Amino acid sequence: MTERPLVLVVDDDPDILDAICDILEGEGYRVARARHGLEALDRVAEEEPSIILLDLMMPVMDGLAFAQALRQRRNGAPRIPIVVISADGNPQKAASVGAQGYLAKPFDIDALLAQVTDMAGEPMHG
Amino acid sequence: MSAKNGTERTANQAAPADAEERSGYLGFVAHEVRNPLSTALWSAELLARMSAAERGGARGEKLTAMCLRSLGRVRQLVEDHFLCERLEVGGLPVRPEPISLRDALEHAAGHRPGDVGEVSLDGVEAALAVSADRALLERVLDALVAAAGREGEPVRVSARLDGGRAVLRVSGAEAGPGALDDPRKGAAGDPKGRALALPAARRAAAALGGGLSVEGGAFVLTLPGAGAYTARPASPPLP
Repeated sequence: MTERPLVLVVDDDPDILDAICDILEGEGYRVARARHGLEALDRVAEEEPSIILLDLMMPVMDGLAFAQALRQRRNGAPRIPIVVISADGNPQKAASVGAQGYLAKPFDIDALLAQVTDMAGEPMHG
Repeated sequence: MSAKNGTERTANQAAPADAEERSGYLGFVAHEVRNPLSTALWSAELLARMSAAERGGARGEKLTAMCLRSLGRVRQLVEDHFLCERLEVGGLPVRPEPISLRDALEHAAGHRPGDVGEVSLDGVEAALAVSADRALLERVLDALVAAAGREGEPVRVSARLDGGRAVLRVSGAEAGPGALDDPRKGAAGDPKGRALALPAARRAAAALGGGLSVEGGAFVLTLPGAGAYTARPASPPLP
């Protein structure tokens, strides 16, 4: 049996992390969480996620720096899809980190699930 | 070119920079509000999707607490934002009265949030009084105690009279150099909704006829001593 897709959620706001992880776990996804880019790099090293939900404005290492560091570390390996989840209302920033998707907070739960399902697959059929 | 035209050109050249700064600030406010607004909406929606029995369970309780906490953050941010705006346009009436600084600080220490450290007022004489609008002074002191005492850091307060002005020093968690002017420098991720509290406190201190600054990692608040205050004309209240 194939393991359920793993979603890495990266955000410095603990309530945002809790809420998104609750939503995804409720749908049957596995989740990993990180509070900033540096932690996110560790999570990726532990287990490669099917998709990364990435905030941009974070302490220690922001979303842009994380995306650059991830590209360097993977050195030509297939890209992990990134969806930027941002409260700054500027979708152009998603392009600047090479993200495949953008969700402006506060986004609808169904919009989140649609993006995750589209890029990571159905949780029960991963 | 006339002198008048030269002046106009200078003013016009300054305007875009002001607009850019203002736009950046408002963008930051929007950013800060959207995070707790998101969690309030999501938790409410998840609760609405649950059965009554599920809502009474552990997950329901967690989501209810998250919703209330998030709304509290939104309220704090919105109140601080509108206080900033009203002070900026001079639309807030200021009603000074003599206030014991120690009493005001004890009030701030007494209802500080649970994550804020103990407050020591050993350096504040009981007789020291300032002339201030009580509501504005409370907002300033609440903000300083919360900022200096964040993450349980003990807060130490000292005060002295200097040439008719009270000088209050609040130390604890180190204050960033731009914390009063540019909240973006001090508040990446704001789980308490306090990102705008210090900018609001700085404006409130100015409206009280004093000032707020950061010196050596501590907050320094100056206020007119009781009897020395010259009230500025109060603006009429907004409709």
